[in-house]
Amino acid sequence: MKKKVKIVAGITWAFVCLILIIILFPGLNSFSASTAKLPFMKINPNYTGGEVANQIVAESCTLDIRKPVFDGLFKERKNGFVQLDWRGNLPGKIVDSIDFDHDKKIDFCIFIDRKQLKTTIDQFNKNVKNIIISTPTSYGWSVRVGLRK
Amino acid sequence: MDNTLLSSSLNKSFGKSLLYTLPMFLITFMFMTGGRLNFSDPYSLLATLIAFLLVNILYFMMHYSGKTDRYRVVLFIIFAMSLSFTLIKNMIAIRSSMSFSQADVLECKIPFCHLVIPMMIIPAAFTKSIIFPGSILNGFANISSMVVLWLVATIVLGRGFCSWGCFYGGWDDGFSRIRKRPVIKHINEISRWMPFAVLFMVALTAALTLVPTYCDWICPFKTVTEFEQVTSLESASKAAIFISLFGGLVVVLPILTRKRTQCSFLCPLGAINSLSNKVTPFTVKVDREVCNECFKCVEVCPLYALSREDIRAGKVSIFCSKCGKCVDACTKNAIHYGIKGVPAGHLKNFSRNLFLFVSFLFLAIFSAGAIISSFQSLLKLVF
Repeated sequence: MKKKVKIVAGITWAFVCLILIIILFPGLNSFSASTAKLPFMKINPNYTGGEVANQIVAESCTLDIRKPVFDGLFKERKNGFVQLDWRGNLPGKIVDSIDFDHDKKIDFCIFIDRKQLKTTIDQFNKNVKNIIISTPTSYGWSVRVGLRK
Repeated sequence: MDNTLLSSSLNKSFGKSLLYTLPMFLITFMFMTGGRLNFSDPYSLLATLIAFLLVNILYFMMHYSGKTDRYRVVLFIIFAMSLSFTLIKNMIAIRSSMSFSQADVLECKIPFCHLVIPMMIIPAAFTKSIIFPGSILNGFANISSMVVLWLVATIVLGRGFCSWGCFYGGWDDGFSRIRKRPVIKHINEISRWMPFAVLFMVALTAALTLVPTYCDWICPFKTVTEFEQVTSLESASKAAIFISLFGGLVVVLPILTRKRTQCSFLCPLGAINSLSNKVTPFTVKVDREVCNECFKCVEVCPLYALSREDIRAGKVSIFCSKCGKCVDACTKNAIHYGIKGVPAGHLKNFSRNLFLFVSFLFLAIFSAGAIISSFQSLLKLVF
């Protein structure tokens, strides 16, 4: 009796799997959309650069100053970064003063020479470290500046 | 219960094989053409027809000849090569290079692949986020679609995913078939557990650094897909590592051992898929009543999944990827596809037919896009 139950259960499970494979591809878009809604299905801020905290709008372009990212596995790390994204019609040379912690004091000044691919910063906040990334992007230019807590 | 079947009983008559191919024929036609042929683009039409015929002829031959691995591997290798070809072609068209830049990472434009999954589990649990610079839902190889495809395939096929779904496995499978006889015949059996060590290491380092360390430093298949632009000593070291691993584990060792050494000793996803062999209903069984202990199955197994002790004990290990090489090699039909719960030696044909339909359907549809695209490019190149 037990043997027969095992056989029936095994074959039933095999047929369920057959159905799963048959519906997998037609239903892929719908299954993927449902999966994307799961709470952990978002890209870690270490990759996205974090949420936009402040947006400065100029004549031909905008600057997004994102929230500083210190995300670690269990708690925040000692070292992180702040990401700046310039979008739109950018000038050849960019000079901006950044206050990323909203204390109404300039934390650093950034100079970007887009033609020479050269980026430098003047730090006014002891927690600002160095430039991690400075690169042209499809929407303009992005910079990540290293921070310590 | 057909428990006295000989190997010849796995093959079928021409008519019966056609009948068994008919459902595959109809389903693959619907998936590859969307139900109608596109006559406005002759290259696309021809590429689709070639891919459609290839897939169905291979499936027909599996039934007609009774051999599985011989025909599976053809599609498996074409899939691996097509995917690399299509991916590289697209990247060169978009980026003029196989390498991705820092901007691609910042904009989360990196295509996701199933090998990232072992590293994203712990960070997903603790940080509620995915540690990969890809797209969650949009674009080519987005994270949601790849996770769903892998999850369903691994539940249904277990480690069969490694021989019927993985678009990298075809590389070392292909190289492992170049020589007729192996130069290196014996490798310590304990090496079979290496992927678990790699899995532990990469899962831990990825969790601590929130970087998919296997993709970043180790993955040999970056050689045939895409890799980080070499701009520093660090990126140069990474390139040296993955190119060496590709040369060693995907090309040289498979040729010398006739085994899939990358899959056997390195792949962390293979380790997870081995565990999922416990869930899938499909398995490979050893009929001890028929087995004459010739151990041809042990000799040919490409993943070191079989040992003489396993055969004597009438079982296969969790490393089995159900490729069918041992089944093809067994002259007594003692080792065969089976369904869990059904005793070894019983329902051999039924189990094989059901497994082949499920696994081949997955491989055929999953590979169709890449194969059609690469055939189309080749046709444009030739004509």
